[in-house]
Amino acid sequence: MGERADVWQGTLALMVLKTLQALGPLHGYGIARRIEQTSGDLLAVNYGTLYPALLKLEQEGYISSEWGTSDNNRKAKYYKLTRAGRKQLDKEAREWEQTTEILARFLAPGKESA
Amino acid sequence: MRRVRGWLLRLGGLFRRERREKDLATEIESHLQMHIQDHLRAGMSAEEARRQALIKLGGIEQTKEIYRQRRGLPVLETLFQDLRFAGRMLLKNPGFTAVVVLTIALGVGANAAIFSVVHAVLLKPLPYPESDRLVMVWEKVSLPNYQNDQNEPSPGNFADWRSQNSVFENLGAYRNRSFNLTGAGEPVRVEAEQVSAGLFSVLKVNAALGRVFTAEDDQPAGRHVVVMSDGLWKSRFGSNAKILSKTILLDGESYNVVGVMPPDFHFPDRNDQLWVPIAMTSQDLANHGSHFLLVTARLKRNVTLAQAQGDLNRLAQHLTELYPDTNTGVQAKVIALREEIAGPMRPVLVALFGAVGFVLLIVCANVASLLLGRASARHREIGIRIALGAGRIRILRQLLTESALLALLGCVFGLLFARWGILTLKLLNPPHIPRMDEIHIDTSVLFFSLAISVLAGFIFGVLPALQATRDNINDSLKEGARESAGGASLRTRNLLVILETALGVVVVIGAGLLLRSFLILERVPLGFQPRSVLTFRIIPRGERYSQLAGRTAFYQQAMERIEALPGVKSAAAVSFIPLTFARSSKGFSIEGRVAPAAGEIPMAAYDAVTPGYFGSLQISLQSGRDFSWGDTPQAQRVVIINKTMARTYWSGEDPLGKRIKFGTPDDPFPWWTIAGVVGDIREYDVLTAPRPTVYLPVSQADDSNYLLRDWVVRTNGDPLTIASSIPAAMRQVDPDLPVSRLRSLEQLRNISVAPQRFSLSLFGLFAALALVLAAVGIYGVMTYSVAQQTREIGIRIAMGARRGDVVKLVLGEGLRHAALGVILGLAGAFALTRLMERLLYGVRPTDPITFACVTLLLAGVALLACYLPARRRRAMRVDPIIALRHE
Repeated sequence: MGERADVWQGTLALMVLKTLQALGPLHGYGIARRIEQTSGDLLAVNYGTLYPALLKLEQEGYISSEWGTSDNNRKAKYYKLTRAGRKQLDKEAREWEQTTEILARFLAPGKESA
Repeated sequence: MRRVRGWLLRLGGLFRRERREKDLATEIESHLQMHIQDHLRAGMSAEEARRQALIKLGGIEQTKEIYRQRRGLPVLETLFQDLRFAGRMLLKNPGFTAVVVLTIALGVGANAAIFSVVHAVLLKPLPYPESDRLVMVWEKVSLPNYQNDQNEPSPGNFADWRSQNSVFENLGAYRNRSFNLTGAGEPVRVEAEQVSAGLFSVLKVNAALGRVFTAEDDQPAGRHVVVMSDGLWKSRFGSNAKILSKTILLDGESYNVVGVMPPDFHFPDRNDQLWVPIAMTSQDLANHGSHFLLVTARLKRNVTLAQAQGDLNRLAQHLTELYPDTNTGVQAKVIALREEIAGPMRPVLVALFGAVGFVLLIVCANVASLLLGRASARHREIGIRIALGAGRIRILRQLLTESALLALLGCVFGLLFARWGILTLKLLNPPHIPRMDEIHIDTSVLFFSLAISVLAGFIFGVLPALQATRDNINDSLKEGARESAGGASLRTRNLLVILETALGVVVVIGAGLLLRSFLILERVPLGFQPRSVLTFRIIPRGERYSQLAGRTAFYQQAMERIEALPGVKSAAAVSFIPLTFARSSKGFSIEGRVAPAAGEIPMAAYDAVTPGYFGSLQISLQSGRDFSWGDTPQAQRVVIINKTMARTYWSGEDPLGKRIKFGTPDDPFPWWTIAGVVGDIREYDVLTAPRPTVYLPVSQADDSNYLLRDWVVRTNGDPLTIASSIPAAMRQVDPDLPVSRLRSLEQLRNISVAPQRFSLSLFGLFAALALVLAAVGIYGVMTYSVAQQTREIGIRIAMGARRGDVVKLVLGEGLRHAALGVILGLAGAFALTRLMERLLYGVRPTDPITFACVTLLLAGVALLACYLPARRRRAMRVDPIIALRHE
């Protein structure tokens, strides 16, 4: 397990929003699994980070939740994206792309130094 | 925006906690189950699936804790937790809590009550618009034989100030008078003011109904108009708006009512019910020689008091040059109206405020001491909590929350006490306290009380809290650790005892000084005998009494009627009875002496009286004779002078038969022959020394200024028993003249020392409070200290010490601390009592007798507070065996 990285707080929120956009209403376990799978099991999401992050997003109004029943008839809380959440997702995704692009330029194998 | 929403929701997260907890548990459980399910599907055994899931997901409880922190606001949650815990602790020891809360409530209550008075009297703006620009203008007279910083201005000076100043928007003049109001129910005497038309515009107050005076109203030829108070309108005229088209009868003349003032308006006196134009003639307004007005003015915007004073100084100099006869030595003096009203109360209130401040400090010391005692009882609890990982700051916070809760509870009950205090004060209604109707518990008082409570809570909470968390955990967890821990707290508590004893000494000495001066005041010889004397007022005004003969007839008839009542020895009338009124004085000349320079003319106060006045009041006749009804206008004009006058102007001579004249020798006034000399009396109040006084026989005093208002009736027993028969007797003489101010001269005498009695009572109350608190403090610490030393005492007794020795040992220590406190307190009092010098009479602020008595008193109280626990409670009864097993 040591080889799998924990997710940073900031990016986790973005991943949650993206997941909910892609898959629609989903429970916490589903979100965690999806993030882990999408990362090719490079990331580990435990509930100590996931649930506080979900709570924060809900408090900020980006997602909402309601109780539902899972595939195997278990009571579970389903989260779904709100309109504010969709906007926030667009915004954060854009910012993130910008950030990675900038960083990529810095880290690209030394064009200037060459 | 989003963030704010987040915070609000988190705030909401503080509530409905159970439901949220359950939701969280369900959510996590279902997460776990889904995880296990997946593992099962992957072919693991049930046990292994669960194990793996738990490993991966981490501790459930930790997750919940992180979640909770995100859900609510940890700071607030801790506070609530602390408050709940504090509440439980306080409920667990209801006795302790009650004592502490009561102590704080007494301290806060006393402070809140005094502050509400201070606030209303000294701090609040006056109830007139832009009242900070209102001032009083006085004459400041400095002549060789007469000095007065607040002399009543003459109409001439008022008129010249008004027309020639450059600093006031307007000036208004007024003087007090009273009217007999007839034709509206029973005849009644009402207090009134004669005012110049400008007065209401100076105050910027308008009538609630109708109007105030115009310049035309304020003309000598103007018709009679009157403005009345809301109170009179309600009580006598049923709040009828038609009052404006009506006339009312004042002293038998009809007046048109032009306005009714707003309900809360009063000026200058609370009792004023009517205002009439003063209507001074142009002759009056040129008179610089008689001084009887009061003058209020409104400063122009942005003009300071100093600028106004400067302008008036310039003006006064100019007037002195114009009118050297009357205005030599006459300056003007400007005082802020609020200061004028509050002035005399300031030193009293400052002293009282200081005293309650000290009481509050004693309260803090006492409560701190109690909390320290309890902290050592809770020592083990705190030790365990520290051992279990509670941080020192966390425990400090917990303990401070407890003291804050105590302080707030104390504040609530304190405000109740303050409310009772203020209600009592209003019931007593001491006449010398201005602005009584403005005294109540308002937001400022609430804030003040809350602030001092919080501050007090911090003061008395921080020391025990620090003490409780300072000790080593290991010590506190060990059995038998009480000794060392208790020792540290005992030292602190001893310091507190010293402190509160010292504070108590200062307050008690303050009260002692006031008591001493009050006792001296009570023994001041008045020069007359108030016992068994009834007084009342009836003023013969109206058509019937415009001439001297009519008035004299009235006095004679009234006198006969009263003296015919059973139980009456004698009756007489006078312009003003002693102890109520500062008489005006007049300049006079003595026949055959060189006329004095301007401004050095001899001055004497004057009173008109009926025959028998001196006998009725038992004022001693030193030489000559009393007046008789035979002193008619046709007979020789005679006067009686007082001893001070005889001594001042005829030292070494016999004044009998000498002649005097009011005014200068050239004035066209009659000469009066001195027919008698009587003893001095205290005319204005008990404190003011007698001054030269001339008494005139009313039967010869033809100027209507010499109206007799007050009657003195000497009776055989309790004067109040005949009080009820006076109005009926007077109705037989004239049914239209109301009788007022029926009271005994003793009552009047008490009223005249009411201000001193008031400060003494309050100061005494606070001193008693301080004393009791200090005694309780000493007692508590001694009890505790004896309990702490049980073992030591046991050993001593086992070793053969006699019980007396043990008592001495315990007592000695307590008394040492008390003595140190007394010494510190004496030093403090020595430094502080001079601040109350203005409240003292006949006693120096460092009066050795007071200091000695208070020292003895405090020593006695301390001895008692030490002796009781030392003897009764433990020390004497300690069985050595039990004591040694004590650990």
